[in-house]
Amino acid sequence: MNNRQRITVLTCAIVFSLVSVVWAVTSPTGQLKPTLQSIIDVIIDDSFKGEGRKNVRRQKIMAHVDKGFDFEEMSKRVLGRTWLDLSAVDQGRFIEQFTKLLENVYIGKLEAYGGEQIQYLDEKIKGDRAMVTTIVPGQTKGLPVNYIMIDKGGDWMVYDLKIEGIGLIKNYREQFKSILKRNDFQGLIKELEKKNKSFQ
Amino acid sequence: MFFGRFPLQEFGNLNGFVIKRILLVFSLICLVTGGAQYCSAATEAGSMEEPDWLDDDPFGDEGGNVGGAETVFDPLEPMNRFFFEFNDNLYYLILKPVNRFYSIVVPREFRTCFGNFFYNLASPIRLVNNLLQGDFVDAGAVLSRFVINSTLGVYGFGDVASQEFGLKPRPGDLGQTLGVWGVGEGAYLCLPVFGPSNLRDIVGFAGDSYMHPVGHFNDGNMVANIAFYTGRQVNNLSLNPNVYEELKSYALDPYVSMREAYFDYRVKLISGDQAADGHPQPLMDQEGKYE
Repeated sequence: MNNRQRITVLTCAIVFSLVSVVWAVTSPTGQLKPTLQSIIDVIIDDSFKGEGRKNVRRQKIMAHVDKGFDFEEMSKRVLGRTWLDLSAVDQGRFIEQFTKLLENVYIGKLEAYGGEQIQYLDEKIKGDRAMVTTIVPGQTKGLPVNYIMIDKGGDWMVYDLKIEGIGLIKNYREQFKSILKRNDFQGLIKELEKKNKSFQ
Repeated sequence: MFFGRFPLQEFGNLNGFVIKRILLVFSLICLVTGGAQYCSAATEAGSMEEPDWLDDDPFGDEGGNVGGAETVFDPLEPMNRFFFEFNDNLYYLILKPVNRFYSIVVPREFRTCFGNFFYNLASPIRLVNNLLQGDFVDAGAVLSRFVINSTLGVYGFGDVASQEFGLKPRPGDLGQTLGVWGVGEGAYLCLPVFGPSNLRDIVGFAGDSYMHPVGHFNDGNMVANIAFYTGRQVNNLSLNPNVYEELKSYALDPYVSMREAYFDYRVKLISGDQAADGHPQPLMDQEGKYE
């Protein structure tokens, strides 16, 4: 093979591998993996284990989670039309409390599985939406988690979670609707705060 | 009359007569309310589809329905909430202590075997329902599992079919069959003792209990039937002891959470997802960690 041919082959190989790397990185699963891996890494890290170090551990986890999860989008979706009627201050308070609730539910479940490595089963893309199917393996029964994601300018962000078949946003939306029937928004915030305290 | 063909005689003529009438009334109500519901819901006739998870529009329509999802039809909410509270008290006062005692006295392996035994016994129900749904693949799997587990698995105590043959459990109940046939769930009902259900699934449950082998072996003795049912439920609970309390810990309104979860579970079952099968499996070991 002469030099020209060698260069051509080399160039093709480089371009090919770059394209496949870029493809893997920009697919929903490709972007989700590093986020979830960083969560698992903190969970299995001995220096963060135990009830005593829970706050520090959760802080570290949420710093990673924030990069891949769109909590503002989740908050909008869970409140629906009510969101539009809220002041910016109230919206901020709600995002804070709802994020904390999701942290307690979702991260709490992952922690209960002891930081097993997540298996990625499937990925479905429809326009700017995607669903990544995963399972956290356990000895007898795994924890199935589906991540529903939206493409925000090239970044795939999670905006809904389906844990063990139960869609979090839908389930909490119905609960909040029921609470808002007999309470106003301030009452809902108080109940959220009470629930979050109960996890401590 | 369809229900007239069931062998109701051995359950006592009076019981059979009354139950026949109740089933007829229930199924009529079911069909009517189900039909009314389908007028407003945008679901296909003949199959229930899972909500499209990739649906848009977070702010929904005037009714506040977001992304195609609807609130479960619950006209009897005050009554349902009352029974939910009743069940909650029943759980903490009776079920939980009984369960704790049972779990201590009977080792996990035995309880798993009992669970397999109970599950295997109900195979005829799953077989018939899968056939009624036209799912011959699953019907065949149910039959194979029944034969393998009853023989190699020694009367069903061992789930050899899953472990050695890779044949996973397949669900099948009459409520699911009716759903596959296009019957709407009607109204949500929270039953005392039995828990979450709906009009259609109650009819299904009644129908399935006639197909359960145990009912045919003890001459319709209600006490024996109740004892069997209770024993099975306690055993199942002992294998997944934290399910109810977890739901309560995560929920701000546990009643609504359970209602929505039950609805989604049934939709998933009817639309053909294999994952939800009700087969009792231990989830957590004693330290509370997932196995």
